[in-house]
Amino acid sequence: MEIMYILLPVSIVLVLGILGVLAWAIFGGQFEELEQEGLRILRDADAEQANVDRHQD
Amino acid sequence: MVIIAVSDLLSNDFPPVISSLNAAQVAGLDDPALLAQCELERPQADGARRIGLGLAGMYCAACAITIEDALMRVDGVREVQVQAATQRARILLDPQRVSLSRLVAAVQQVGYRAWPDAAARAGNERLKERRKLLWRLVVAAFCMMQVMMLTTAQYVAGPQEIPSDIWRLMNWACWVLTLPVMLFSCGPFIQGAMLAARQGRVAMDTPVALGVVAMFVVSMGVTFGAQDTFGHDAYFDSLTMFVTFLLTGRWLESQARERVTQSLESLCARLPEAVDRAVAGSLAEQLAGAATESIPISSLRHGDYVRVAVGQAFPADGQILHGHTEVDEALLTGESRAVPRQPGQMVVAGSLNLGSPVWIQVERLGPDTRYQQIVSLVHQALTEKPGWVKAADRFAGPFLWVVLALAAGGALAWQWIDPSRSVWVAVSVLVVTCPCALSLAAPSALLAAAGAMARQGVLVRHLDSLETLAVVDQVFFDKTGTLTEGELQLVGLVSAQGALLSSDGALFSHPMLDLAAGLASHSQHPLSRSLVQALIEPGQVSQARSDSAWSDVREEAGRGLEAVDATGQRWRLGSGAWVLGESTLLQMAVLPHGASARVWLQRMTGDDVHEAWGFIFDEAFRPDARSTLAQLGALGLNSALLSGDRHDRVEAAVDYLGGSMVVRIAQAQATPEDKLAVIEQSQRQGLRVAVVGDGINDAPVLAKADVSIALDQGSALAQSQADLLILGGRLGGLPKAVAISRRAVRVVHQNLVWAAAYNLVCIPLALAGFLPPWLAGLGMAMSSLAVVLNALRLSTP
Repeated sequence: MEIMYILLPVSIVLVLGILGVLAWAIFGGQFEELEQEGLRILRDADAEQANVDRHQD
Repeated sequence: MVIIAVSDLLSNDFPPVISSLNAAQVAGLDDPALLAQCELERPQADGARRIGLGLAGMYCAACAITIEDALMRVDGVREVQVQAATQRARILLDPQRVSLSRLVAAVQQVGYRAWPDAAARAGNERLKERRKLLWRLVVAAFCMMQVMMLTTAQYVAGPQEIPSDIWRLMNWACWVLTLPVMLFSCGPFIQGAMLAARQGRVAMDTPVALGVVAMFVVSMGVTFGAQDTFGHDAYFDSLTMFVTFLLTGRWLESQARERVTQSLESLCARLPEAVDRAVAGSLAEQLAGAATESIPISSLRHGDYVRVAVGQAFPADGQILHGHTEVDEALLTGESRAVPRQPGQMVVAGSLNLGSPVWIQVERLGPDTRYQQIVSLVHQALTEKPGWVKAADRFAGPFLWVVLALAAGGALAWQWIDPSRSVWVAVSVLVVTCPCALSLAAPSALLAAAGAMARQGVLVRHLDSLETLAVVDQVFFDKTGTLTEGELQLVGLVSAQGALLSSDGALFSHPMLDLAAGLASHSQHPLSRSLVQALIEPGQVSQARSDSAWSDVREEAGRGLEAVDATGQRWRLGSGAWVLGESTLLQMAVLPHGASARVWLQRMTGDDVHEAWGFIFDEAFRPDARSTLAQLGALGLNSALLSGDRHDRVEAAVDYLGGSMVVRIAQAQATPEDKLAVIEQSQRQGLRVAVVGDGINDAPVLAKADVSIALDQGSALAQSQADLLILGGRLGGLPKAVAISRRAVRVVHQNLVWAAAYNLVCIPLALAGFLPPWLAGLGMAMSSLAVVLNALRLSTP
């Protein structure tokens, strides 16, 4: 049971760390545009240029 | 935006690639005052500023990323967030290195349009509030999960299965995890309660704050060795769960409120911040190629010539000088529909230009525009507290004292029954009572109803009137300007010999009408406008008519127009006395139809009266007048005409409007005193009376009615004191408004009954010790949520 003396503080530190990540996500606006954030990872330079071209035709 | 995009592509006038900014536009955009207007919040310590940009031309979420990248590449930009849904960008930048024109140019380079968005500040405040609330909720929810995990072990463990030092360690861990919930997530409740306490009041937050603090103090005492005083149970799990439920309810409520606010805001589409004005000295006739300068809207002056691009909102009320286009006047009519507009016609500030670029001359600016009047009316309705809401608030005060007394009494009584549960019961009572449901019941429903009505083109000026509108049984209509259009309609053409040409086909294809309309397009007289309109109305936009065929056009006030046509002949269009001369007019008056003609057209050079044509005008009923009365009848409302017009004309109007089944003539040739008497008589019979008028001439009559409804009459909107305003002359909004108000009143009643029943059932349960605090918290959050969601049903048609 002595392991609890280490595990409990570690879990609390973990919680605080995760809360920090969530704060970054919330104040970065990631929960306002759910679709947009998903698309961000799929983007590359070529596709971006194609997007511009497509809308300027 | 899709509509705009498509019309961009179809329009030949509009180049597909956005031209780069010219020097004048750059200078206009780089005005420091404009940058200051766009700031979303105070400058940061190192001088960086966050500004808002409005965007247009976005199709999808990927567009937002493209724009973000384009803006990030501008030197000196630190942070960019583009929201596709609201079409706005928030940019953190270093004002020393970045100018607005560079940002706008960067966005235009990738194929979108951008403008400085000075109106974004209010939206930014709300965004920050929402983020903070979500953050409080996430902290509470996440800490709750951890506390639950630890507490579950304590629940399932048998006696002595967990050594007492580990048990205490777990309690300490729970305490540490509850601290952020207490200190941060509960902030709004505790602050609200303290604010109220300092003013000697009891607020909605008081029982919540008391309950939370009591639970925390007791649990902390248990954790840190004062078990003798506080018993053996820690309530960290109940506490965190309660706060999470409560915050979830508030967050969902704030999302719902944001939806209503946004729908009202989108109704009032924003004005552009910078406009393209023709450089000083430009002539109205040569605007097509005129040079422009970009200036902030605040520098716009009366009489300026302004070029409005496709997709832009008109910056001011004005008259189109050059270009044919289509505009979206959803602001005025509640209906998103492209309406054709051509030179000579008026456009209103805030409506969107959808067709092609046009030039307008500014006629009304700033607070005089209908846009500003509508916006201020909407704000007034949103901030006003109706009488019965105030009554509910007054009722909530004593109710809260009773709750506090009950909690104290409960705690005392349980000291005798079972001391270990006395704190638990008191907390449950404090938490389970939901005065919020009572105080939210009416305003949430009324606000949602006002939003729904605004989308139908009916503005509510006083929320109180919604309640009365729902129970109205008698509607009095004024005729002229209310059931009929404000403008007269051309119905006949009479020759100098008295021959009448009034059948539609012959009338509208008559060459003389074409001639008269061409000449009339040079004038803004109401009858001239009706003449021009007569050619437009049959469906085709008549562009063949060449205005330039006329030269030397001269308008004499009160008389008419005089001009020279292409062949050098001089013509007059105007009143009979001026065009024909007094004596000829007298001869005409004896002819069968001569007397009815109000406008005459005659060639003045070299010929006699036989070349004259007279135009007959009549009132035109609004296209939806008949269906409106039928719908009101179906809702169980009596409609009656109350008109100052001649008896035979009122009879004719009733015939047209659907006979005695629907319409009852209350009084023809009524003076204002007569009208007042009729209304009072109806009210004495116990009827609730609504009066629909044009809002200006009928002011005393409107004031007497239980509910007054006015059709907006252009710039006089602000002077009208009516309870409800029907925008854009769409009478059809009235039956819809009645239906919505009835639903709203039903929802308010449901909400009040629900809130009262909930409190009556749950408080005794809590006092009897059947409700643990976490269940009480769930109950309270759910009951206010039920009230808000019920109210939101009104926003869906």
